[in-house]
Amino acid sequence: MLKIKDIVFSVPDLDASEKGAQKSIINRVSYTFEAGKFYAITGPNGSGKTTLAKLIMGIYPVTSGSIFLKGTDITHLGITERARAGIAYSFQHPARFKGTTFRDLLSIAAGTEDEDALAKIVARVGICSLDFLDKPVDSRLSGGEIKKVELATTIARNPKVAIYDEPDTGIDLWTIDPMVRLLKREQETHGTTTIVVSHNRAFLAAADTLLLIRSGRIAYAGDLDGASALLEDLSACGYGDICEGENNVRCYR
Amino acid sequence: MLDAIDRDLLKAVADLEGIPKGAYNIRKNGQLLGREVSANITIETNEAGNGIVVRIKPGTLNESVHIPVIVSQAGLHDVVYNTFIIGEASDVTIVAGCGIHCGSAKSQGHEGIHEFKIEKGARVKYVEKHVALGEGKGKRALNPTTKVFLAQDAYAEMELSQLGGVDAADRTNTAELSAGSSLLITERVMTDGAQTAISRNEIILAGENSKANMISRSVIRGNSKQDFYATMDARAKCFGHIECDAILMGNGSNETVPSLKARHPDAELTHEASIGKIADEQLMKLMSLGLTYDEAVNRIIQGFLK
Repeated sequence: MLKIKDIVFSVPDLDASEKGAQKSIINRVSYTFEAGKFYAITGPNGSGKTTLAKLIMGIYPVTSGSIFLKGTDITHLGITERARAGIAYSFQHPARFKGTTFRDLLSIAAGTEDEDALAKIVARVGICSLDFLDKPVDSRLSGGEIKKVELATTIARNPKVAIYDEPDTGIDLWTIDPMVRLLKREQETHGTTTIVVSHNRAFLAAADTLLLIRSGRIAYAGDLDGASALLEDLSACGYGDICEGENNVRCYR
Repeated sequence: MLDAIDRDLLKAVADLEGIPKGAYNIRKNGQLLGREVSANITIETNEAGNGIVVRIKPGTLNESVHIPVIVSQAGLHDVVYNTFIIGEASDVTIVAGCGIHCGSAKSQGHEGIHEFKIEKGARVKYVEKHVALGEGKGKRALNPTTKVFLAQDAYAEMELSQLGGVDAADRTNTAELSAGSSLLITERVMTDGAQTAISRNEIILAGENSKANMISRSVIRGNSKQDFYATMDARAKCFGHIECDAILMGNGSNETVPSLKARHPDAELTHEASIGKIADEQLMKLMSLGLTYDEAVNRIIQGFLK
């Protein structure tokens, strides 16, 4: 369904002493996401998870490498074209708008203003009520509410590939399991290829395949059991190389 | 009678397809075009002969008054003084607005000075739209003034908008609030090309538990310029908030100066102000829903000015 081939994403290395030096956030990553499967992408902070997701959506342009959707090269398509080709993206920190309501966003996402059609989508998502529709998507929404809006607009696209960047940020403990079930249901009933960037074990356990990203590369691809040892390892401090011991006052661990 | 240009202007400023139902006063090119009163609403020409006095009887509920102004005569600068006396415990809507149609190289303009006396416990919604249409190159100027006096427990909601075609606008809003009264002003202004718009607002929270909320939304396209000044002057235990946001597109400029003056220890005053381009995250979100860049910009502006 979705194939990434040798993709690299580099940015200027501001810490480097030499001028014009680059550092790679994503370093020659190749992978094929199969149609209708559920993938979880995890890894330490700063490992490149969100960057990889944004490269797929076209939010960042790849420095080199290629991206194919159902065999078509989409490497040079913009966000709009990729959205129209069937990729949808749920932002970790969704945008807030003054004057734009949930109804406005949902209508754009679904391509219809029909009340019944919108109500059906809200029912299908199931985690927010109908009276939510006329709420402005502005700073008055809580962190959890805006994530539900984000999730609903992603599902309303009926995407072939749905990417969710940390969908559980700000979501209460009691909503996480229903959210996992919702994404599984979408995967199963609509055949949505689902990619979830998350640290949450509930999403990792729900995935068919777990991708562990470390230093801009895929360190592991497989099931959760197989990843246990690596995940345990990651739970230890990642600053071993420069550690000055527990007497270092700048160590917070 | 209304001609085609008049109809276009009436539609644009007052959402009217023709002569309105209920009380109205239509002024065209400085002259009275039509007037209708109702059992509870009287409209009379003022003593100086340069405007009208609209009186709403105490206890009048759910009635409306339309008072649009049309300026289509080349070179005309119309100045009008209107007074509104909203009787105790009434609840009414007043729809005003000025439409300029400029068909020549001569400048045209309108200055409407509207004074509101909102009596005890009365509620009024005031909707004012300003537009300028026409192919003429003449400068179209609109300089409205509103002065609002709210008696005890009175409530006023004012929607002021100017969404296109006006070359120069210099607006002044003043308000004085008595105990328990509330005022909500929402101003929306869009300018383009070399247009300029200034909005000056002075709100005095004089009475205990008075509340005022001033919201300003500006969209500044092309090389246009908009300036916004607002002062909340609190003289009692009260609540005041100013929220002013400006979106800059093209090479426009904006000066926004919210000012809060607390002259009472229990005054609560807040403001939030922002000036900037449309946020990238908003554009990316809408593009990820399938809109093009231009469509996304339009939707964001539409929502912002809605």
